[in-house]
Amino acid sequence: MDRAWIDGRPAAEADALAAAAELLERSRQPFVGGLRTDVSGIRAALGLARRIGAIVDHGESDAIYPLLTALRDGGAFLGAPAEMKRRADRVLVLGDEVAKVAPDLLAMLTETEPDLGVRTRGDAREFRSLCRAPLDSAGRGRAEHVDCAPEDIVDVVGLVRAKLSGRRAGEGAVGGDAVAGLAEFLKGAGFAAVVFAPAELGALGTEQVFGLVSDLNETTRASTLPVSASTNAMGAALQGAWTSGFPLRVGFGRGAAEHDAALFSARRQLSGDGEADLALIVDALAEPGAGGPPCALPQIAVTSEPGAVEGARVTFAVGAAGCDHDAVFYDARFGSFVGRPADAKSELPTAAAILDALADRLGGRVADAA
Amino acid sequence: MLTRLKGGHVVDPANNRNGVGDVFVSDGVVVDAPTDAKAPDETIDCTGLVVMAGAIDIHSHIAGGHVNTARLLLPEWHRAFSARPGETALSKVGWTTEETGLRYAEMGFTMVVEPAMAPSSALHAHLELADTPIIDKATLVVLGNDDLMMSMIRDGESETAIADYVAWTVAASRALGVKCINAGGSAAFKENVRKFDFDDVVPDYGVSSRQIVKTLQKAVTGLGIPHPLHVHCNNLGVPGAASDSIAATIRAAEGDPLHLAHIQFYGYGDEGKRRFSSRAQALADLVNATPEVTVDIGQVMFGQTVTISSDELRQFAGSKQASPKKSVIFDHEANGGGVVPMDYKARSFFNALQWAIGLELFLLIEDPSRVFFTTDHPNGAPFTAYPDVFALLMDRGVRAKWLDALPSSVKKMTQLPELEREYTLEEIAVMTRAAPARLLGTPDRGHLGAGAGADIAVYRPNDDKAAMFGKAAYVLKDGVVVVKDGTVVRRTLGRAVTLRPEPDKAMKTRLDRYFDERYGVSSRWFEVPEGALRRDDPFEVVPCRA
Repeated sequence: MDRAWIDGRPAAEADALAAAAELLERSRQPFVGGLRTDVSGIRAALGLARRIGAIVDHGESDAIYPLLTALRDGGAFLGAPAEMKRRADRVLVLGDEVAKVAPDLLAMLTETEPDLGVRTRGDAREFRSLCRAPLDSAGRGRAEHVDCAPEDIVDVVGLVRAKLSGRRAGEGAVGGDAVAGLAEFLKGAGFAAVVFAPAELGALGTEQVFGLVSDLNETTRASTLPVSASTNAMGAALQGAWTSGFPLRVGFGRGAAEHDAALFSARRQLSGDGEADLALIVDALAEPGAGGPPCALPQIAVTSEPGAVEGARVTFAVGAAGCDHDAVFYDARFGSFVGRPADAKSELPTAAAILDALADRLGGRVADAA
Repeated sequence: MLTRLKGGHVVDPANNRNGVGDVFVSDGVVVDAPTDAKAPDETIDCTGLVVMAGAIDIHSHIAGGHVNTARLLLPEWHRAFSARPGETALSKVGWTTEETGLRYAEMGFTMVVEPAMAPSSALHAHLELADTPIIDKATLVVLGNDDLMMSMIRDGESETAIADYVAWTVAASRALGVKCINAGGSAAFKENVRKFDFDDVVPDYGVSSRQIVKTLQKAVTGLGIPHPLHVHCNNLGVPGAASDSIAATIRAAEGDPLHLAHIQFYGYGDEGKRRFSSRAQALADLVNATPEVTVDIGQVMFGQTVTISSDELRQFAGSKQASPKKSVIFDHEANGGGVVPMDYKARSFFNALQWAIGLELFLLIEDPSRVFFTTDHPNGAPFTAYPDVFALLMDRGVRAKWLDALPSSVKKMTQLPELEREYTLEEIAVMTRAAPARLLGTPDRGHLGAGAGADIAVYRPNDDKAAMFGKAAYVLKDGVVVVKDGTVVRRTLGRAVTLRPEPDKAMKTRLDRYFDERYGVSSRWFEVPEGALRRDDPFEVVPCRA
């Protein structure tokens, strides 16, 4: 089985490594992206990036940046899904993306009942949804739906805040009664959980949701469960934070890590309109991705898909993390990192091994230098 | 290979050494002077220098979910984020895992304990620690706000069952000890309780903070875990109530070992027109009179920092004072927590008095083997402020200078100007080397006797103690020179020091079911799997006491 390709033709791995190293060496500004891999793959990618002065971003970080931006601009209230499962007696679902990107989370909440807390345990969980499509099921719980266009959700959240603080406000898109109903629903909760997709509501909308929950916590208890289409991007951002100080979108071109969420975004760099002139893309997970931006640059591909990547100057076949080899991933339901043993160990190299080997050729083992 | 550190002033109180002499190192271990005339392979001339064991920090938040959230919350503090680097708020702070290891090593620290690892965040914490170079690491795992512990106490389960649960948690998370943070307080906050005292009960459990602390203390002692239960008391930072809480907790030690964390934040009275005063004297007296307790200070220093704590209740309350005005509050399983930025200002009466109270406690607690050197990094100050703290302890002239710069209202509220004590080199070595090693149960650390690990810090004496302790002349880690003249010259990887108590099989089965049924998560996720860190030798297991 072929494991490496140069310009689409099968090649010996050593030759492919030499070719890729030469491309990286000649590049004026390399970009290391994709990053669909496990913790050790990202560790190696960041180490290589630091060594070669690359710009780094995850292919799917558009899915998490609205959350990160809101959090660092104004702070946040964040709940763990497992704790909300046991404690939240009332759940507000904002937007239609939640059902699309986190059906498991919704199922967990609708199929169970809170069992902790004097006020919260024992009763069926109640749901309100503010979006287009009503919830599929609320189990034993009562669900009420407020029909709302996606572009009006954040405004309605603002009106609910106004209502809760006793300020006068207009009718808005869903009417004053619906707003008052939502305010009462949240205020009367023993512990309210607000579930939403930051990518749908945007950074400002996300800030509005955190503001709502902050207001509620003045007198009662509430938290949020933000969901995203890319758990893998969130894990990579967390790892980027401890490694470089920043949640990716960093450039190592001037030595120390520099962060710029616009300048160093994968979308900008891969479009060919950014500074990068060469992309190294890691795509080594068994599960299909949410889809990253298209790549208009010459590419070195590190992939668990079979065969050479079309158009790539060099392709390396690697194992899918957690499938072909043991791996560690961020897990959204657990809210932290978990180990995942291989389904069936294969002989394929890991993404980390290829990236380390490239780093070796570019001047010593650098996987730890980030 | 034999290395001789020649002719230094060896300060090694664990072995009663305090004078000029040699230290020999072979294969990463301190050895006796060779009896034959064998020439060393390498000689490091330490003439005129001070030689100590590597320092140990027993309480510094350097890794894990909450620490990493602080990084996410405050990108503007990173040096590189600024267009004009060098002058941003935390520009000197070891903020990444990489910098944390390097900056600690440059000061002669060779082991640091992350004191607040949530069981659910154990793998995350260990991943970060595995990326932290040079220094050895250890963690304390947090229990005491978790549903299972409180349910077991409520249901009157046996001490054995509770100890089995604690042992499983320590083993799964690869911890070196157990910490309890505002016992019951975080759980109560989830029930919308806003103030929680030592004898208050957690709603729905009917279990008091006192019961939780005593139960955990008994379990930890019974399991032979060398480090005593590490307690973060109730009412942190609340004038009057804080001081009452810690006094009640210390009295509850009742002859068994107990460690009280960052006690500076509990030395607060509510006297005076601003309702904020020092109760350092009373707290120090109580510590002095209670030999079974140890404490660390959590010294406040001036400047921008960020507080990171699993005390969700108090962090939520503190979020009103956040500077800059943003914070993250977590409602996780068990403890939850919060990340709240804080700017301690020398011109603020409150912050200046906090600073003074920390120093009063350092100077009024008599036994340097029972008081530990911490800023509760980064809660009181980043660990990079340590050189200044050493100077303040060792030089009353430095204290006088700092005091002069403070508001006069503060000077009336502190006895600091009258305190003449200056820590000696030997006392510093006790506080930062010999005693921490004993407290953690790591007998081959903290001293320079034969058989000790060759973690050694060599300092160039200087009247300016901040300069002396800020940049070690040499640091050896496992016998290898890693720092010269305050700069890292070799980047090695240390280990995480852990206990590995054998968990009870029945408890394991019970927990498999519990986590699955109640939380919908796998108990396996709480484990730090062998090999997950992808390092050659990530752990060093030390035994529990028989």
